[in-house]
Amino acid sequence: MGLIGVFVVRMRLSAIGYSMSHGAFAGAALGLATATNPLLTGLLFASGTAFIIGPIADKARLHADTITSIVFPLNMALAFVFLTLVPEVGLSSQVASVLWGSIISMTNTDLVYLVTLFATTLAIIYFVWKELFAIMFNRKLAEADGINTKPFIYLIIFLAGVVVTFSLKLVGGLLIYALLFNPASTVLQFSENMRKVIIASPIVGMTTTVSGFFVSLFFDLPVGSCIVIVSTIVFAVALLLSPKRRKEENEK
Amino acid sequence: MVGLKPKNAAIQINKTASDDAVIQLENVSTVYEGAKRTAIKNISLTVKKNELVYVVGPNAAGKTTLLETINGMLPTFKGKASVFGLNVKTHGRQVRCKIGYVPQDFMVKPGEPYTALDVVLMGRYGQIGFLHHPKEEDKKKALETMKLLGIEELAGRPMGKLSGGQQQKVMLARALAKNPKILLLDEPFSNLDPDSRGQIPMLITKLHQEKDLTTLIVTHDIHHMLENCNRVIVVSNGKITFDGTPEKALPLVENHPHTTSLEAIYR
Repeated sequence: MGLIGVFVVRMRLSAIGYSMSHGAFAGAALGLATATNPLLTGLLFASGTAFIIGPIADKARLHADTITSIVFPLNMALAFVFLTLVPEVGLSSQVASVLWGSIISMTNTDLVYLVTLFATTLAIIYFVWKELFAIMFNRKLAEADGINTKPFIYLIIFLAGVVVTFSLKLVGGLLIYALLFNPASTVLQFSENMRKVIIASPIVGMTTTVSGFFVSLFFDLPVGSCIVIVSTIVFAVALLLSPKRRKEENEK
Repeated sequence: MVGLKPKNAAIQINKTASDDAVIQLENVSTVYEGAKRTAIKNISLTVKKNELVYVVGPNAAGKTTLLETINGMLPTFKGKASVFGLNVKTHGRQVRCKIGYVPQDFMVKPGEPYTALDVVLMGRYGQIGFLHHPKEEDKKKALETMKLLGIEELAGRPMGKLSGGQQQKVMLARALAKNPKILLLDEPFSNLDPDSRGQIPMLITKLHQEKDLTTLIVTHDIHHMLENCNRVIVVSNGKITFDGTPEKALPLVENHPHTTSLEAIYR
């Protein structure tokens, strides 16, 4: 999450990230309602959302703000409709895990999926690093240098969808996007070297997740919420300590 | 009018460009996506190999649109445009690999995680090819280009910490690092300090000659026109209102220090 979050933040795809995470959330809810694997339906919905926000919106010449403003509430609406169709009264533990996350319900298979996904994402980023690096600097200039930027933007949107879906059990569909943006935004407060940002962001993501987990155990609070609160506090502290910000303010 | 006449013609430019047409526009009209006004209207233009053209004109006249249409960044134009015989609409990426482009007013904010060398090296990315990484020789070429512009000591510094003039030189190095056949420079002198403002136009002219380039420079700085270019185009209200030698252009602008006044002259 922290790794792909760097690209989402730097390419200014945050609104798209919200829509993707809620697409995965709606898909997982459909999975519960139809007794299908929530991972599979989540992946289908996230990929569908990526396809609508990426190539279809481009084809229809819809601005990113317009399409995300429509897809985001639609995914939320669908998620709540699907959750009401879950064949159990009230919020079952499964529904709660999709809504708020349940790290305890994660199985060894889930862990294998996450590790494989991390390795695959890392490999993809390694191979197309120069294109992504140039697009993060400036998309228009990357185009001017002869890079066809659209496929790489679509790749990041799609990867964000997949990563969000596989991490849904961790913090739930309502909070998942915080793990996409917070670690990257935190590290960007300190480093002026993009390679260091790429390495540090997943480390910050993992550290805040583990810290949030222990906070939740200690205070007996929901795990997902604690992870998001810890990662937000870490971001706020980074903002206050940011040497880059201090220099900017001194220069003003 | 100070500075309009050539005080020191240290650089002798080749006034007789060869007949090979490198850039050809036929009745080109471009509207920005979402905008109602046509930015350039029915422009026909041929630029031959080795020509160095200054493009001048008032603000919002269509100068930037002209450059972005040539490099295929605005493919929704009407009419025909080709570069080295390649249709700009259908072969935009191939065209852009041959063009070194410096955009107008490009500034990197402090704190951005890119060094000056990163930015210069990016100029070569389009040529390196998909799934390939920059090699040592790419880095060497980027550093050589920075040395050429006297900015090699900035290589490891964060781009956002450089002054406006230094950033402009880095962007110029980025454009040159790809070994372009064409240079399209959009106001490349606007943020330079007074010393560089004298040196850089002459350096571009020198590089233009040495590297066998075809160059279009959008500028408001017409003070070095005679020494540094062999053709002047005035764009006003989306149309080319003057196209000729700097010698012919100069008397017309001598009493008009700002190119904004050219609109009144050529209308």
